[in-house]
Amino acid sequence: MRNWFKSGAPWIWMTGGAVSISLVAVVGLLVLIAWRGLSFFWPSTVYEFDLEELNGHRHTVIGELYDSQKVSAERILSSGVKLPEQHDEVITRYLLKTGNREYVDLDFRWIMETQIKTKTAPQNIAVFERSTNGNFYGYVEGLLEAGEAVNATDKRAELIKRMERAIALNDQADDLQHGPIGSINYELERLRLKERGLELKGELDEAAKADFEAQRQALHDDYLVLEKELFAFRDQASRDAVIVRDMDGRQVTLPMQKVLDVHFPNDMGFFAKFGHWVHQMAKFVSSDPREANTEGGVFPAIFGTVFMVMLMAVIVTPLGVVAAIYLHEYAKKGPITKMIRIAVINLAGVPSIVYGVFGLGFFVYMVGGSLDQIFYPEALPSPTFGSPGVIWSALTLAILTLPVVIVSTEEGLSRIPSSVRQGSLALGATKAETLWRIIVPMASPAIMTGLILAVARAAGEVAPLMLVGVVKMAPTLPLDGNFPYFHLERKFMHLGFHIYDVGFQSPNVEAARPLVYATAFLLVTVIIGLNMSAISIRNRLREKFRSLDQ
Amino acid sequence: MISVSPTTANAQALDLANLTEAQTALEIKDLNLYYGSKQALFDVSMKIPKGQVTAFIGPSGCGKSTLLRCINRMNDLVDICRIEGQIDLHGTNIYGRSVDVAALRRRVGMVFQRPNPFPKSIYENVVYGLRLQGIKDRRVLDEAVERSLRGAALWDEVKDRLHDNAFGLSGGQQQRLVIARAIAIEPEVLLLDEPTSALDPISTLVIEELINELKSKYTVVIVTHNMQQAARVSDQTAFMYMGELIEYADTNTLFTTPSLKKTEDYITGRYG
Repeated sequence: MRNWFKSGAPWIWMTGGAVSISLVAVVGLLVLIAWRGLSFFWPSTVYEFDLEELNGHRHTVIGELYDSQKVSAERILSSGVKLPEQHDEVITRYLLKTGNREYVDLDFRWIMETQIKTKTAPQNIAVFERSTNGNFYGYVEGLLEAGEAVNATDKRAELIKRMERAIALNDQADDLQHGPIGSINYELERLRLKERGLELKGELDEAAKADFEAQRQALHDDYLVLEKELFAFRDQASRDAVIVRDMDGRQVTLPMQKVLDVHFPNDMGFFAKFGHWVHQMAKFVSSDPREANTEGGVFPAIFGTVFMVMLMAVIVTPLGVVAAIYLHEYAKKGPITKMIRIAVINLAGVPSIVYGVFGLGFFVYMVGGSLDQIFYPEALPSPTFGSPGVIWSALTLAILTLPVVIVSTEEGLSRIPSSVRQGSLALGATKAETLWRIIVPMASPAIMTGLILAVARAAGEVAPLMLVGVVKMAPTLPLDGNFPYFHLERKFMHLGFHIYDVGFQSPNVEAARPLVYATAFLLVTVIIGLNMSAISIRNRLREKFRSLDQ
Repeated sequence: MISVSPTTANAQALDLANLTEAQTALEIKDLNLYYGSKQALFDVSMKIPKGQVTAFIGPSGCGKSTLLRCINRMNDLVDICRIEGQIDLHGTNIYGRSVDVAALRRRVGMVFQRPNPFPKSIYENVVYGLRLQGIKDRRVLDEAVERSLRGAALWDEVKDRLHDNAFGLSGGQQQRLVIARAIAIEPEVLLLDEPTSALDPISTLVIEELINELKSKYTVVIVTHNMQQAARVSDQTAFMYMGELIEYADTNTLFTTPSLKKTEDYITGRYG
């Protein structure tokens, strides 16, 4: 036994165990959120339940099985729900997603196993994904074109054909609205601001006024043409409708322009389901959110997250590197430098919400407010830069991550052998030339390490952003086709905040839960993606400057 | 006694105490150097002749490297270092007030103990000094690379891989590359600080042969703790001990008939 201890084997087992626990924790976390998040997109079977109430009343419920729980009968009775005379001690209850939000009180409901008479998974049940009011479950009864019934031999094929037509028309309408019509609105706003600017300067004479009026009229004429086109698209899209029989036997007419997707989950084979799954995920990543973020995709949030992090990286890298160079190369080694260094390191320990408060007070109100006073007086009192926006978020996070970049850059600088410095100086280089030609390139892998840590920290940070720029729903992206293309003053959406919003601020908790997992998985994927690209750049740099290994 | 090869023991030994101005490359006058409160060099005065190889020898810590580093003012990098006295390079004091240190270092090149190539290609290493001077003309740079690499006896080995990373070279090749880098900017004086101490015997031999060729164009000052090497490559030898210049004579005389007991003890290996 003593020899076993002496041999070091228990030590190896202990350290190995610690590594395994860490590994299991990381992998377990990833697998859990991936599983909970990604299974949401899998088309699950839709069941039809025949239910009998205690008073003998029978009715049908159609829905997806979401969850099941074993609950003691006592607890159910005490909550006021009645049970039949003979019942087990423990009763299983099921959570169903029934959809059809406008026809039922709640689109999620619990049913007791004692109520269930039959449970079937009939063919032909259609699941409609709609742009408003969530999913609709039912049987397709017929199709309408301009109010007239359509005779079709293959009802399903006809339905899908007509749905795709409506989607194409809706897309055209959306493109028109966001593209040309959006540009006209943007131009009109700019004209208004220009006019107001001249007015403030007292240079708005009659000629200028007439000129503005003419420009405005021209834009308005353009707008009328586009508006006509838009209405034409909308009109055409609203031509068709589908008649669906729901679980209560009602014949419901769904306008085709509200239908985004339809599938028949009980008829699908594995590959069809897989295809649908991939399609749903692609839609989640690429489309805009709907219904107070509880449905639709998260594209603006992904874009906002990546855009803000990149902007932050662009700001923090030069700042951190320059500060580190001063501290390491120029500052006199003394108590003051030491104090500054300690202060910088401690800055990394300040809670992030404090940075948010600082960003709001300093960047948004002071800097942004002053910018508005100086450059955008015509827009006042509505703020341009004086309200939270993506630039302020990036700056706030840049300050938050600055210590990381400074510390790792300094470490990189101190690892460069002095012989290389002297070699450069001995060839007649000045200190600055040596720095820019030799030292900074050689320290670049360390700078990249700092950047990687900074990006990892910044991409996951939510608390400060809530104060300086993130919103639940941003109508426009910070990058679009209108000059000057980058709109850094705009508010933006962020995956981290999206998780918080969907999970805790959502009106429909049950519907939102899988989205929380899906978005969390996406956030992790985005952060890993950002890190991987930074790491690959670093490895390339390391290869180039591998002298340090000698 | 160490044998002195007939090629280096030139027949007409210079009168080192009375060199004419035209013969002198460097004149060190009453040089005192302090690291903080500790004095490292004591009243060193000597004249280093032009176009010859001068060696500094002495035991570790005797100040020979420090003295060498005074010649291109590398000691300026040490914050606590203070220097009194003067060094004239071809008649001008390099410690004068209006001297541009970077310009001085272009005139006085230096090669260090360990090869210290930059993490760049062989080509870029050689033209580094030229690029600093703002030379961009490709032809000029190409010519300088070939001339310097030939001058450092490295051309034939690397001419086909000029754009490979310099770290791919062996230690001896790296040291010759560093010499090529130093002579690319055509300095007047070349300082070698124990240039072979990190190299194997064969690389050492190649470098020593190179030093012999270099003196036709440059004044070479070499620090070495290897007395055989000093005897082989140098024309003059200065023996230093505890920060003082003990004896300075042509190599032949110093190694065969040293005038002082201390020198004799050192070169016969009695201490050091």
